[in-house]
Amino acid sequence: MSARGTGQAEAILAGLGGVGNIDEIEPCTTRLRSLVKEPSRVDAAALRAAGAFGVMVSGRVVQVVIGPSVDTLASDLEDLM
Amino acid sequence: MHAKQSAAPGAHKYQAVRAYLVGLVERELHVGDAIPSERALCERFGVSRMTVRQAVDALVGEGVLVREQGRGTFVAPQRMDFEMRLTTFGEEMRRRGMRPETRVLGMGTVPATADAADALGTEPGAPLHHLRRVRYADGSPMSIEQHWVSVGLVPGLLADGPPPSMHDALRAVGLDPSWGEETLTAAEATDEEAALLDLRGTRAVLRATRRTFSADTPAMYSNACYRGDRYSVWVPLSAPAPALVPRLRDGDERLDERAAVGATLEDGRTG
Repeated sequence: MSARGTGQAEAILAGLGGVGNIDEIEPCTTRLRSLVKEPSRVDAAALRAAGAFGVMVSGRVVQVVIGPSVDTLASDLEDLM
Repeated sequence: MHAKQSAAPGAHKYQAVRAYLVGLVERELHVGDAIPSERALCERFGVSRMTVRQAVDALVGEGVLVREQGRGTFVAPQRMDFEMRLTTFGEEMRRRGMRPETRVLGMGTVPATADAADALGTEPGAPLHHLRRVRYADGSPMSIEQHWVSVGLVPGLLADGPPPSMHDALRAVGLDPSWGEETLTAAEATDEEAALLDLRGTRAVLRATRRTFSADTPAMYSNACYRGDRYSVWVPLSAPAPALVPRLRDGDERLDERAAVGATLEDGRTG
């Protein structure tokens, strides 16, 4: 489905503040639900530029709307983490 | 062949009346049929009118029965189970063998609100097609729906009047709906909604806000107001996928994603 490839996973990870800012990422049906250490290091504009259709931040929880390609993105992310 | 219930204590009597009525609704009566009179139920179970009323009230509260002032108590229409799928009202109704109908309340071009602009990826104030309709199933109002589509994305969407199916109209321009997200919220109907939905008892409604995508394009923003007495939402559940946790340890906090790629290679994997 996704023609975005691993470049997208790298860009999403960078938008979340880098792997060092991640406590965990839970892949849902259409979203990544991430628990981050420091929400101020999350760059919503960068996440949107990386193909996210929405970014919701609530405390340390950051939800990134990806769509059905979240499955492939999650396995790319796993390789990078 | 009903067991004699008169020796049972109060709670059991109530349960017996209730179980009997549920059995009638499930096996013998049809939607709109009257249930036996209070007097008949009192005699059958040897219980007080109060016990019978308690059982009937509970089933009215659950939406199994409906009471009509001065006429009696009847089998209520069944709730519809809706699996949250990317389908339209018309598709869902036809799948149930029901006749969908539509009344258009309004159609036109409106400036994008902040929410709609965010959902559709347009600038706030950008022109959006807007369509507002009441949807009926077999003649009963079921929901009020609104849709917004960017004029820039589909200029001629409403050129021939309100499309019978929004999904078909999107497919016709190559924007096949492929995925979406919906948020459900419980609410009370406004006076206007209660009138449009012909709500007489409860004013509970379910509000649904939806984004419909065609692959990478946010194609449509919608909201719907479903009557609470006729809808249930059916949601398939599955165990969550395991969370991804960084393999890096403390002290690696300054590593960026480039360093993470290094860690990946160390692991013997390719991107």
